[in-house]
Amino acid sequence: MEDKIVKTMTRMLLPFIQLYGIFIILNGHISPGGGFAGGAMIGTSLILYTIVFGLPKARKKFSHRAAEFMESGGLILYVAIGLIALIFGLPFLTNIEAGFSLGEPGKIFSAGMIPIIMIGIGIKVFSTMVSLFHILIEEEIS
Amino acid sequence: MINQLPILQLLLFLGMALSIPLLRKRRFNTTLRLGFIVLCLVLISSIFIYIHVISEGPILYYFGNHAQRLGIEFKVDAFSSFFTMFIVILAMIIYIYSSGDQTEGIEEKEYGRYYILFFILMMSMFGILYTNDLFNTYVFIEILSITTCAIISIKRKKDTYTSAFRYVMLNEIGSLSYLFGVALIYMATGYTNMTLVYESISQVWQTFPVNLIIAISFMIVGLGIKAAVFPFHIWLPDAHSSAPSTSSAILSAIVVKVYILVLTKVLFRVYGIDVLEALNIPVILMVLASIGMIMGSVFAIAQKDVKRMLGYSSVAQVGYIILGISLLTHDGLRAAFFHILSHGLMKTALFLSAGAIIFYKKTRRINDFDGLGYIMPVAMGLFSIAGLGMIGIPLTSGFISKLNLGLAVLELESWILLAIIIVSSLLNVIYYLPIIISAFLKNEKYHYRLETIEKTPKGMLIPLIILGVLIIGLGVFPEPIMNLIEYAITSLQA
Amino acid sequence: MNFLTFLVENINYLGGIALFLIGLHIVVTHSNLIKRIMGINIMGTGVFLFFVAIGYVKDGIPPIIIGGEPIYINPVPSVLILTGIVVSVSITVYSLALTIRIYQTFGTIDQKEISKLIQEEEYHD
Repeated sequence: MEDKIVKTMTRMLLPFIQLYGIFIILNGHISPGGGFAGGAMIGTSLILYTIVFGLPKARKKFSHRAAEFMESGGLILYVAIGLIALIFGLPFLTNIEAGFSLGEPGKIFSAGMIPIIMIGIGIKVFSTMVSLFHILIEEEIS
Repeated sequence: MINQLPILQLLLFLGMALSIPLLRKRRFNTTLRLGFIVLCLVLISSIFIYIHVISEGPILYYFGNHAQRLGIEFKVDAFSSFFTMFIVILAMIIYIYSSGDQTEGIEEKEYGRYYILFFILMMSMFGILYTNDLFNTYVFIEILSITTCAIISIKRKKDTYTSAFRYVMLNEIGSLSYLFGVALIYMATGYTNMTLVYESISQVWQTFPVNLIIAISFMIVGLGIKAAVFPFHIWLPDAHSSAPSTSSAILSAIVVKVYILVLTKVLFRVYGIDVLEALNIPVILMVLASIGMIMGSVFAIAQKDVKRMLGYSSVAQVGYIILGISLLTHDGLRAAFFHILSHGLMKTALFLSAGAIIFYKKTRRINDFDGLGYIMPVAMGLFSIAGLGMIGIPLTSGFISKLNLGLAVLELESWILLAIIIVSSLLNVIYYLPIIISAFLKNEKYHYRLETIEKTPKGMLIPLIILGVLIIGLGVFPEPIMNLIEYAITSLQA
Repeated sequence: MNFLTFLVENINYLGGIALFLIGLHIVVTHSNLIKRIMGINIMGTGVFLFFVAIGYVKDGIPPIIIGGEPIYINPVPSVLILTGIVVSVSITVYSLALTIRIYQTFGTIDQKEISKLIQEEEYHD
């Protein structure tokens, strides 16, 4: 887009949207939200960047290799945390008995493994949204 | 340790699917061999689970170690492990065929994507059979729908896109109907775990009869769309005519049966036979199955393309299986499960041999099958054996399943159903027998001699021969498999 | 009077059923592909609304602990539907990608014109 107002406002707003998304991911066990909603917000911010500034610039910020790493990274983090419980002979994805500590309710570092899983889900949702959008746009141009 | 085997099987499939892009730099043969090792490991672990479950009872696995009414549960018993063994064996045969496939059904660079979809498909089918939670079934059904749709539309031709779009639309309506049924059951009972719902329905069905009837109707419609039961089968012939032959085999022989198994689980394990008979549900299924058996064959007679004909034939055979299930007796279930096995084998043989024939002869019309028995003896021979099995000639497994179905219907003394079964078998003869006769006897047009035999590659011949041996073997010695089916039925009704 | 109280008390459920039927009508009757995808989305929203409305307890508050002894609503259906929404989004993305391919191949996204084009091709074969 050629409009100066839209470009300036996007450049100013983008960090705040992403910060809010990270806040919702990390507070998934205290307040509503969690991995899906926060990941969708961060994904929306990068989609906004793509629409305003065009596809080549957005590709530099979020390349193919980064997308591959983040998609498989989120999934591997989730499965690895779940497999820790298998070492102790307990079923998949066990929380307390597998040794994760429950802090005081209301703080961020509490509820065992839930914040770590939320981070994994958030990374996967955000990278999937952005890479799907880029693939759809690429098909249209070529 | 043996308790952890089901989830390890699922994670093994997922890990194989994730590591295929990493092996992109090496030759493709390493990926194929690694996939075959994964399938062999899953088969061995399935046999272990089956032996354990028969002797010691079902494995109950609670995710996250939560209580039964709060978490997701996997219940692995004889029914689930018997059918996972069947799925893995068929998948191995199709895998060997597709790895030796030189018919250029799939382009070179699409090979990696094809196998990623294949392994995720296997993972979701195992998940559907193991789970004991109604909503978890919905999630796995959706994964299966998307991967099946992607695997049949992997060729980039014109008619692939429209048939894939119709497939997605109809399957999504089916999934949402199933979810609506789950919502109504949750409204009446308050649980989604299948054992807790069963106990709750047996106390509650007189106060909420309307809720439960509407819920089971939505589920029958939803799962019927996905399993190609008669009025909802519109997507199946289009999907078959535009897909590569291995994808058609996966779709028609394995995926459709898994949805029928979900329907069986819901009918027998969530509702129970007494509630079903009190609410008059089996009549709906019997009517749908009977119309499907006849109309499927009637449509198949009018087809000129061999793959579309096989698609309509699938619709008729699914009618047989649903009729066996709707009788709600022990013999009916036995006939239905044996027909699931034998139809899986026969349809796979038909599609795989049809794929080889279509490639080497470059034609799909049934009229051009004259004299093919002299050029491609093995492929056409397997087509004939499977075709005779579909008709129900003795010495093949199709005969055993039709015999059992007839006996099960006679037990209920319903002459109309017996007449419908006989009419449908006769209709099957009308469209299979001419192909077999014209392939081996009509040689005047081309005057082939025995020297002009086309060479099909070994990778494609070996699975076909294994399938032929299994079809005839099941027809002559059905006793061992019948014993295994007995264990499966008793565990379903426990 | 009885009918009106029934309507007001169960308005959530009736809204879910109405959305489901409207979505089904759109998929069956319209011929534009994008409108059909929107119809599937509306159907999905109807089912999700029905499911979440089961969890509503009269005079309940959202399930966040603030002290005291309040009545909480049932959080289980909302959590189940979170997964359902993600599934619905992925099916929408897949259908849209197919629509882009159909547009590039046929030049139109109207189902009737696509059928006509396919029939003409078969006629020429």
